Parts: sequence; C-alpha cells; structure tokens
Amino acid sequence: MATEHDHDGAPAPERRSFLGVISGLIVAGISTVLGVTIGRYSISPAFSTSNEQEWTDLGSLGEFAEGKLVKKNVIVSQDAGWGKFQSQRSVWIVRNGESVKVFSGVCPHLGCSVNTRADKFVCACHGSEWNVEGSTVAGPTPRGLDTLEFRVEDGKLKIKYQDFKQGLTSKEVLS
Amino acid sequence: MAESKLQKLYLGFYDWLDERTGVKEITREALDEPIRGGARWAYVFGSVLLFLFAIQVVTGIVLSLYYAPTADHAHVSVSYIQKAVTGGWLLRGLHHYGATAMVIVAVAHLAQTFLFGAYKKKRELLWGAGVLMLLIILGFSFTGYLLPWDQAAYFGTKVGTSIAGEIPVVGSVQQRVMLGGSDMTTVTLSRFFTTHVFLLPLALAGLVGLHLYLFRRATPAGPFHNRDDKKIERFYPKQAFKDSIAILICFVVLVAMAKYYPAELGPVADPTSDYLARPPWYFMPLFQLLKYSPGKWAIVPTVILPAVLFGTLFLLPFFDRREERNPLKRPLATALLVLVIGGSIGLIFLAKYQDRNNPEFAEKLKRQDEEMRAYFDKPFEPQVIGGASSLANGGKPAEPPKAYAENCGVCHGDNAEGNPIAPTLIGVAGKPQRSKEDLLKIIDNPKAYGLKDMPDTLSKIPPEDKQKIVEWLLTLKAQ
Repeated sequence: MATEHDHDGAPAPERRSFLGVISGLIVAGISTVLGVTIGRYSISPAFSTSNEQEWTDLGSLGEFAEGKLVKKNVIVSQDAGWGKFQSQRSVWIVRNGESVKVFSGVCPHLGCSVNTRADKFVCACHGSEWNVEGSTVAGPTPRGLDTLEFRVEDGKLKIKYQDFKQGLTSKEVLS
Repeated sequence: MAESKLQKLYLGFYDWLDERTGVKEITREALDEPIRGGARWAYVFGSVLLFLFAIQVVTGIVLSLYYAPTADHAHVSVSYIQKAVTGGWLLRGLHHYGATAMVIVAVAHLAQTFLFGAYKKKRELLWGAGVLMLLIILGFSFTGYLLPWDQAAYFGTKVGTSIAGEIPVVGSVQQRVMLGGSDMTTVTLSRFFTTHVFLLPLALAGLVGLHLYLFRRATPAGPFHNRDDKKIERFYPKQAFKDSIAILICFVVLVAMAKYYPAELGPVADPTSDYLARPPWYFMPLFQLLKYSPGKWAIVPTVILPAVLFGTLFLLPFFDRREERNPLKRPLATALLVLVIGGSIGLIFLAKYQDRNNPEFAEKLKRQDEEMRAYFDKPFEPQVIGGASSLANGGKPAEPPKAYAENCGVCHGDNAEGNPIAPTLIGVAGKPQRSKEDLLKIIDNPKAYGLKDMPDTLSKIPPEDKQKIVEWLLTLKAQ
C-alpha cells in the first residue's frame, strides 16, 4: 500500500518510541508552564481591582433646597491595571428638613444614567420611573433607586460612593 | 478489553478525521522527513529558532494585554507588568531574553549552515530567506527596545535614529519618517509599536513559511563529507528528540535568566537628563567601530559595513559555486566566518573594557545602574489619571513655595526644571539617596552628599521653610 511507504521507499517508522515519549513530555511540560502562567496573568488582575471610595464632601447641607431633586457630581477613583482612574459620577440628593436621601445616578436596571422630570426620577433608556423616595413607579427596573451612605459632619453633607450590581431585585455592592 | 475498545474508538476517530483533513499525510510529512547522514546536535538550531519565535509571539501577545503604547503610559504599564501582575515578570523576562536568544541562535544557525556549506546549489533562496530573517530579527530588537520608554530605551533609540539620519541623501527623510516628526514623541512610540507587533511579525512569519517550504523541498543537506550519505534517518524520533532537548535547555535558561536577572526597567525617560546611552550588546560592535570613524567616516560602520556584510551573505551562494562543503577545505570562507564572529566578540569586549577604564564613564554608568536598581526595587505605583488634583489645578503641578523661589530657583529653575548650572529636581525623589530625609540633610550639608557646587548658606533657611521646599519637591514627578 502506497501509504505505508513514502517516496524514498523506506518503511514508515514505528511511531511509538521512548525518545518520542520524552519529546512529547517536554512539549507538554513547556506548554503547561506557559499556559498556567498566562492564565493567571490574564485573569488575576480582573479580580484585584478595587473601587473602595473615600468620603466625599458635597457642601453644606443648608445649601440643598427643601424638597428639590439636586444633582451633584463626585469624583470616584477606580484602581484598574496600571492606573488609578478618577472620573466623575452623578448622585441625586433630596432634602426634607433633617431627612436626607442620597441616590446613585445609575439605573439599577441596566446601568443608564438617571435623570429627573418634574418631581420624578426617570431613566430614558427603558422608561423606568421612581418617586422622590426612590420607590419604583413604572418601567422594567427590578428595584427602587439605590441609596448611598451619607453622614452630616459640622453641617456638611458627606457621602460614600458605591456601585451596585444591576438587574437584581436586591441591592448588592459591586466590589 | 476496555483498552482495545478505546483504541478502536480512537483509530476510528483518527480515520474519520483523516478522510476529512488528510491528517495522516500531514503528520507523515512533518515527522518522516528524511535526514541524510542521520540525526545530529548540529541541526537543532532551526527548531530552537522556531520555538523562540513561537515564545516571542505568545509572550508578545499577552504583554500587549496590559501594555499601553503611548509616551504617557508606556513606562507605567511596563512597570505594572513587571512588578504587579501575577507572572508578569516571567512573561516579560521570557520576551526580553527570548529576543536576545533569537539573535544568538540565529547567528549559530547561520554559522552552522555556513560551516557545513549547506547554502550551496539548490539552496540559494533558502539561504537568502534566512539572511533576510536575521535582518528582521535585528529590526525586532531595534523597535522593541524603545517600547518600555525608560531612560535606556529613550536615549538608545535617540542615538539609533540619529545614526539613521546621518546616512547621506536619504538620511534626513528616513529619520523623519521613523520618528514621525522632528523629535521623539508619542508618535514615534506608536510607529515603533506598530512595526514591532504588526509589520515585522507578518514579514517574519511569511519568511519562516517560505524558509520551511524551501527547506523541505531541498531536503536537509546532510554532513559536509559524503561518507554517511547512504544512512538515512527520519526526523522522528531521533532528531525530534535532540531538538526537544535543545528546546528544553533553551527554555530553562530563559526562565532562569528571567528569575535571577530580571529584565531591567529603569526610571521613565527624562529627555532633560544627560543619560549615557549604550546599545544592547549585539549592536556593540558597530558602536565600537563608530568611535574610530570621525565625521563623515561614520557612514563606514553604520551603513557600508553592515550593507557589505549582509550583501555578501545574501549573495554568497551565487559566487561561491564550488561543490566542496568541508570547512577545512574552504579556508577562506571559514577564516572569514571566524574573523567576523571573533571580531564582533572582540569589539564587544573592547567597548566594555573602555567604558570600565574611563573613570568618567565608569562612574556615570555605575550611577545610572544604581538609579535603575533603585527604581526597579521600588514597589509599583499606579498612575493617577484625570485626577482630582489635576481637576483642581488644571493638570499643573503645585506652585513652588516662596522659600524655594528665594533660595533654590536661581540655579534649579523657577519650576525646578533645571538650568545649565544645576540639574532638574523634577522626579528627584525617585533617585537613590534622595528620600525626604536625604533631601533635608542635603539642604543642611550638601558636601556630605558630594554636591560640591551647592552653596553652604542653605543651612540657614528656617526649618519650616526647608520642610516646605522638600515637601514641594516630593510632589514633582517626572511626566
């Protein structure tokens, strides 16, 4: 049969051999070392990012008009790879006397930006709406607006910005 | 028996696959290559080169996962890979030393082919493709050297592109095209990056394919005498085994180098510093010859000699048409090879020797090495992007304190940018022996730090002003 001999007429050699096994082991060993290293190198930084934020001063509490929906921008810092990327995020503040609510400006549905229309919060992407308390009024949003931690020190409003997982009925911190 | 059933299943699958892909034929082509005269250690270099190329491709791809090819971020991203990412030091080390290994093994492969006279008749194009590949490997070294954007990279490439600019007639245009302008900028880095990761790999991969095809077509040349011509061995298993052992040794050496002599990374490029540039060792012979070539003679080592060398190599099979392959019976060819390789090694050692014996250079190179180590040993520090400070201050560094303007600015510049009489203080805190405590002590007693030109009167500055000056200096980071 022609397939058993090649053009030189020499018989096809036996494939199984001690030297062949050693060669195979060497190739497999090097591939494993490289494969494991590359796997860890590629994946591990995705889990070592941190977006733990510090307390940010938003100014005197008295400056927030009673019952108004006020938008403020805060600078958040995200450790990712070789950089500490600082960027701005929007938060909404509603003050009623001593009672204060701070809402994240990120829609809990799919992460669009929340805006206001009259006395309501709305998300233009998919039509979700919330009242001034942050409770859902309409739309596909799975939960009310996410509230952020805050404290008042010497009459100043300070908040701690956080991101939350989207699409869930309960609020879970994205860390 | 379960084993025979499994075997049957495997063979059945193999037949099925073969009908559709011709895998048996491919395996046979790959493994049953006839080697005249039998397997030899002398033939391992080609396979090792192919392995090294694969390593460079794989590690290069994963390095680009975190590398940022802009002048603003290149250095910090390489630092991140080297210092912070799990296994980053190993992958960068493999890429760094793999590049050097490629030059060494390519020269060894060429020397073996040359000595065995395996470039002759029917193998002219095979040889020519090989010579072109050596040039491309050197192109890889040149373009890859800039990418970390540290001091050595910046100044080494500055010299390299200036050499390209001195070539008569085409030089200035060529230099502008290489730099993407009149000076080294982030555009230069983009050009080098594109060449390094897209153009050269495509060219090399194409030539590797051609080289292998031509090699299989010509069949291995075998030993240079005809005694063993009757004996024919297959590539597999004996030559495959020898190649695998050589590849293993090569890999172990690369890993050991990456571990015990980590790929270097110095402080970020500072165009205002008086860095003493030295090329990587394989460009050192030309560097050394450049010292003996004043003025317009510089073209001899930079253009004429390399052109003659590579031109001769490329055309060698066309004018060396004798059938004799024994190196001992080709004294001229053998002597030339020994002369070129021996001469190159001699020039490298001469260059090193001269640097060591010139007190000024030795001192400067030693200090540069210390600065490199100091930077290398510092833990990774992420770069702040679009930061609050820059939002507050329009991206500019803080204003210098009054005490600085009164006491230091005259010599070091109003914004510490440096003057002809005194160096810049931007990034001074990153240098060895320049911690906060050191800087305070330097103001008190500059002579203790060997800074003879600084005035003694600085010690009279009030302590709180000294603090202000040093704290401000610490905020000045090289961009």
